[in-house]
Amino acid sequence: MSTLTVPWIILFTPLAAAAAILFVGKFSKPLSAGLAIGAAATSCVLSWWLFFQEAPATSLQFHWIQITDLLQIPIGMVIDGLSKAMLVIVTTIATIVFTYSLGYMKTEEGYWRYFAGLALFLFSMLGIVLADNFLMMFIFWELVGLSSYILIGHYFKKDSAADAAKQAFIVNRVGDFGFLLGILFLWAATGTLMFGELIGRVGDFTLNPIYLTVACILIFCGTVGKSAQMPLHVWLPNSMEGPTPVSSLLHAATMVAAGVYMLARIFPILEAAPHALDVIAWIGGITCFAAALMATQQDDIKRILAYSTISQLGYMVLGIASAPTAEVSMFHLFTHACFKCLLFLCAGSVIVGMHHEQGIWKMGALKNKMPFTFLATVAGALALSGCPGASGYFSKDLIIAWAVVEHPFLGWLSVVTAGLTAFYTFRLVFVVFLGKPRDEAAKHAHESPLVMLVPLGLLSIPAIIAGYPFVEHIFFHTTEPEHVPHLLHPVLWALFAGGTGLAWLLYGNADKDPVRIPLFANRLYIDDVYGWAVKNVQDGGAAVLSWADRWVVDLLVVQVPSKLAWACGFVLRFLQIGNIQAYAFFFGAGVVGILYLLISR
Amino acid sequence: MSPLLFLILIPIFGAAFILAGANARFTALVASVTNLLFLVVLLTRYELGGEQVYQFVSSWPIVPSMGISLTLGADGLSLVMLALTVLVTLAAVAVARTPEKNPHWFYASLLFISAGGLGAFASIDLFFFYMFHELALIPTFLLIGIWGSGDRQAAAWKATIYLALGSFVLLLGLIGLYLIQPDGMRTFDLRAISGLAKAGFLPEANWVYLLLLIGFGILVSLFPFHTWAPQAYASAPAPAAMLHAGVLKKFGLYGLIRIAAPILPASVLEFSNLLLVLLIGNILYVGYVTISQRKLDLMLGYSSVMHMGYIFLGFAALNILSLTGACLMLFAHGLSIAALFALSGEIRERTGTLDFSELGGLAKPMPAFGLLFGFAAFAAIGLPGFVGFAGELLVFFGSFVGGDLLMGITETGKEIFQLNNFQIATICAVWGVVISAIYMLRAYRRVFFGPVADRWAALPEISGAPRIAVAALIVVMLVTGFFPGLLIKLIESASIWS
Amino acid sequence: MPTLANYLIVSGLLFSIGMAGVLLRRNILIIFMGLELMLNAANLSLVAFSRFHLVQGGIPGYNAQVFVFFIITVAAAEVAVGLAIIVALYRARQTTHVEDLDTLKF
Repeated sequence: MSTLTVPWIILFTPLAAAAAILFVGKFSKPLSAGLAIGAAATSCVLSWWLFFQEAPATSLQFHWIQITDLLQIPIGMVIDGLSKAMLVIVTTIATIVFTYSLGYMKTEEGYWRYFAGLALFLFSMLGIVLADNFLMMFIFWELVGLSSYILIGHYFKKDSAADAAKQAFIVNRVGDFGFLLGILFLWAATGTLMFGELIGRVGDFTLNPIYLTVACILIFCGTVGKSAQMPLHVWLPNSMEGPTPVSSLLHAATMVAAGVYMLARIFPILEAAPHALDVIAWIGGITCFAAALMATQQDDIKRILAYSTISQLGYMVLGIASAPTAEVSMFHLFTHACFKCLLFLCAGSVIVGMHHEQGIWKMGALKNKMPFTFLATVAGALALSGCPGASGYFSKDLIIAWAVVEHPFLGWLSVVTAGLTAFYTFRLVFVVFLGKPRDEAAKHAHESPLVMLVPLGLLSIPAIIAGYPFVEHIFFHTTEPEHVPHLLHPVLWALFAGGTGLAWLLYGNADKDPVRIPLFANRLYIDDVYGWAVKNVQDGGAAVLSWADRWVVDLLVVQVPSKLAWACGFVLRFLQIGNIQAYAFFFGAGVVGILYLLISR
Repeated sequence: MSPLLFLILIPIFGAAFILAGANARFTALVASVTNLLFLVVLLTRYELGGEQVYQFVSSWPIVPSMGISLTLGADGLSLVMLALTVLVTLAAVAVARTPEKNPHWFYASLLFISAGGLGAFASIDLFFFYMFHELALIPTFLLIGIWGSGDRQAAAWKATIYLALGSFVLLLGLIGLYLIQPDGMRTFDLRAISGLAKAGFLPEANWVYLLLLIGFGILVSLFPFHTWAPQAYASAPAPAAMLHAGVLKKFGLYGLIRIAAPILPASVLEFSNLLLVLLIGNILYVGYVTISQRKLDLMLGYSSVMHMGYIFLGFAALNILSLTGACLMLFAHGLSIAALFALSGEIRERTGTLDFSELGGLAKPMPAFGLLFGFAAFAAIGLPGFVGFAGELLVFFGSFVGGDLLMGITETGKEIFQLNNFQIATICAVWGVVISAIYMLRAYRRVFFGPVADRWAALPEISGAPRIAVAALIVVMLVTGFFPGLLIKLIESASIWS
Repeated sequence: MPTLANYLIVSGLLFSIGMAGVLLRRNILIIFMGLELMLNAANLSLVAFSRFHLVQGGIPGYNAQVFVFFIITVAAAEVAVGLAIIVALYRARQTTHVEDLDTLKF
């Protein structure tokens, strides 16, 4: 075992597990679960081992496609601080979620399909983390889309789940459209796809900055799709149709993190394109604010968390565009992975306890029935809302500080968002766990089995402590901006207190939502606009074209020539008078005429 | 004696035995399995990077005074296409349901199509290249017209007249190619013509290229000559649709890559803008038409028309990347569309309808069927892991720097930011990837997902020969998709580069 | 001594008579006879050409005569087939007049 081969083992163990489950999974439930968890645990242990090795920067490599010296697409791995930290995050979270699934999926159907999908999901994400070139990343990027399609559509008999899966894949493909074009642009200019070589050749673009800017924005489209930034964020809340552990995995470590990780991977290239960074900052800032607004009025426990994920991803993207190193955003990605995974697993625990009821207004007073889940949720909520001392406080405030310095408007917008975050997070906690039980199911809720509670406990610890410097410095080396306004931190503390307090005032003892803001509850009507556009513009246009294909193209190319041929025949058939002797006469006359012409010359 | 001749004769003899009264299905299966084994032997005997570009060559003079001879030979590209033909034939025979009327003629026709395809891909002589393709058109007509469904006779006539017209234009083009050769050296031998072209003995002949483009284009359903295809595939019995969409339709693109690219490259570049407009019509226009289809068979028919646009793009850009990609896509699309038509035929056998509004939730009673369809659908939309992805990728990379035979990387980055026509076409084509995801996943969702209607709740699962055949096609796509180098090495050894 | 021209004039007359019969008569049997007349006019001119086209040593060229034998043979076969068709036609339509046989028009 060496640092050269271990990354390959880490990467391919989950794929092998997925393939094995595909063939033998239907015979035994424990076997399929065991294979998936075993693969995740193997990858996890090896990742931790690798993390503490002084690994060389490269690994074994082979050429997937090689055509003369024009195009080489290698499959190789980059092992540096960034990828090692990400490996550890991804595999650890995955192992915890896989284990938790044992309890959550116990009574569900499609057991082996679910675990095969999970293993494939892990494989795809690890591929993105380890990729040392754009194309390998793109390959796994697409595979992540596929695995999310499989898992979101797990309950395929439900129309909503089937639609959500389809939407997730297609929206991601729209993002991939830009991503692939960006890759083509960079390759056409430099002739290489390797991250290392591209970063080394960024200087080539000084003569033509527009080209690099366009290429970077196109590549950022990939992030917009995968990390659910505006305007391609619509798939993420709908993806809540999948089983809850999937949502947890998707939001914490495997899918949405990929977009931010990719930006971190190519950070030196982005730095050379300041205008592209401006675009990225604006998209991130707007996403972070708008998603927080939408989160305040959702009634589905998972959707609230989904919008909070979009909002937090906005922070990370904003951080990429503001901070001088990508480590700042990666730090928030790390803490976010811990507490968001925790929150989703808590939500899953609540949902199981409530017999698959997800509306928060059906819950209430669950703290008595599910005390352990309650405590874990509070830990996650404190981290998410940036309570001083919890992990989110350290990482999010760092991003906000950089944003305030570099992009003041967006920075202060993100400060406001921090207050909103505290508000909607504690709205969820208060409505679900305090107050009175509002439904029969809430009265008879029960605590979840141990196999689900242990992961909660395990995750609660990093959710609180992951932000402290002694943890942070194992993984990342961030820097603080110098000229932070003195007011910033007091304002943030005040906003946290204010948001929480407002949530307590409004929701501490409410039976139904005292605030009704249709604009936010309907997600700023963006989904409706898209629905309208798809139905009328795309499908309507397609229907018009389909009509044109039948009645214009087919008419011109097939019907018109066919009718012309018929018309010629119609004219000519007047010569067919049916009298043999007339034909013979025409024939003879023709012969005489031709002879005359030939002789008279 | 060339082993390639056996490859062509085995299905013909098989068909003869069937017509003489042998057990139709069994004989057809034996013939196609024999052919597959034979091809595997050929692949192992083929010397990669050997001295001869064309191997297994043998020649029988037919009309020496005109330079016509039955010359068979195979280079790497031919072998890829032969492998495609043999695989799809076996799958088509395996999924075929023995019809009630004239089962002997049914299976014999399938074998005849196979023989025509094999002959066309193994011919070096242009006359026989053309003739073998014509040979395959007749059984296609019979299959659609006699054993088809729906408005089968109209579809059969439309397709046949259309294809005959295309063949006629193509014939004119081939005669033109014969006539522009210097007097006394005229021949139909592709190797000799390429030699003449390379030595500069061929005058510039744009009219020949245009005839070839339109002739081959009609055969491949190039926009706007595509309206025959969806109707014909929708009406055809599943094995016929598999063989035509999977194999025969590739003949046109194979011909363009084989003949026009090495012999008339200057004309190809001169008319590249025309071709780019037409192929964008294939990708975007037909793509959107595909979205609004309401029946699975029509949707698949249109999607196969749309995918031809990518291959045309690979041809138009005319560099080693894009042409390699186009060749990969010929193979990939042949397999994926064959698998999809096989599955849609199986659905029709079970439910009697392919209308989206009547189907739904079929993955519940038939999970393995749903899984296979999912694999085939994702292969068709170019998911990584399937060979179609490698093909599309190479086409995009090639066409983005396109327009230059065996080019170096263009200095795009160093110039002012502006896009040339190839790059604009590439951008449109990449959007096509989104379109194909939309229609394919919609179809998958409408047929297999959602609540299942009571009348479909007890449909029998896919099993036996069709299951194995489709799974085999998928396995081949996966293996070549994980290791596209296998095919690329073969294609690189083809004669089109030298 | 008749010259080649005399033969050709007779042949031309025979051909014209035959042609007139084919074009003008209504009874299909008579038309058939006209056809035979035209064939024999051609035979006559072929034999005449043969007789007057001497190759080496005053021997007539036999090629044309062989040609005539072929024509006679083919004509015999044609009569056999043609009469059979006419008989079949008469049985079907009870007529031998060409004016009544005009089904093949639009």
